[in-house]
Amino acid sequence: MSPDSRPPLQWRLPPVPVLLTAVVLIVCAEVGGASMVRFKLELTRWARQAMLERPGTHGLVGVRDVDERVLDEALVKFDAGLRLFHLHAEGMGLVIIATATVAATLAGSPASRRPIIALLTVGGAGYPLGYLLWSGLIPYYGPDRGKTIAEWLVWIPFGGATIVALWWLAGLVAWQMVRRERA
Amino acid sequence: MSRFRPEIERYAAARVAANARVHGLSGSAEYDDEVRDRAVFSVEAGLSFFHTHAEGVGLILFFGSTLVASAVPWRRARAALYLAFTVGALFPLGYLVYGAAVLAAGRDAGIELAERWVLTPLGGAAIVGLVGLALALAVRGKME
Repeated sequence: MSPDSRPPLQWRLPPVPVLLTAVVLIVCAEVGGASMVRFKLELTRWARQAMLERPGTHGLVGVRDVDERVLDEALVKFDAGLRLFHLHAEGMGLVIIATATVAATLAGSPASRRPIIALLTVGGAGYPLGYLLWSGLIPYYGPDRGKTIAEWLVWIPFGGATIVALWWLAGLVAWQMVRRERA
Repeated sequence: MSRFRPEIERYAAARVAANARVHGLSGSAEYDDEVRDRAVFSVEAGLSFFHTHAEGVGLILFFGSTLVASAVPWRRARAALYLAFTVGALFPLGYLVYGAAVLAAGRDAGIELAERWVLTPLGGAAIVGLVGLALALAVRGKME
């Protein structure tokens, strides 16, 4: 079928709670980004103090030259976690809107449409929070242990949900293309 | 920015040297080099932030305003949200001001000026628009 002879595609909006989740996620990203700049000094002071109170966790030895390097490295990662939350929350908000719109429009059967949209929404909204969690855990558990906790609690389950939903959606769209070509 | 990086660095360094007083240059080569490097780094950061935010904010407001057009049924609410988004869309330009202000007013004063008078109000408008859209969606969700 040539593109000109196809009926025009009528885009469908995803359910309102899905859109609301995506917009709230983007709001959190923007407020997080602004707070990161506004309270940079306070956040750094808090993280540094919390790390100094846990010398064993961070491998602090009491020698200023050594400890300052360790603290600086952990603070860079603490800041990176906040930045990555800002970036991923913005990005995943858009991903939820775009992919849920595709699913609402192209997934004809509710049996596949509902779980795809649910996985996209829950996975997309939860995944960026892992970066916030990682940053929050760094002063208490160190960058590596904090990352492992964030991976198992947030990134793997929520990122996995998004990946499953995206492959499912891609397969569905591909299947529809094949069926349309055959028809 | 990639192509003209050496030219930008040279220009920024020349502007810092020409504005020695506001940048607090002392005449001591070691100290002045550090001050100049930090100012040039901030100018480049401003340009880099302009690039990333202009891409990101453009997409967010494109999708946000599409949602306003599709999902907000009240005409005045739509107009108010479009206004907030349009003002918010200018936010990335604040990072160009950031770069220019660092050169003109000194690093700390320039950053403070750009954050207080440009980035905060424009970014605030985008956040107000997004919060308004979230509220409109919540009200619409209750009505359905």
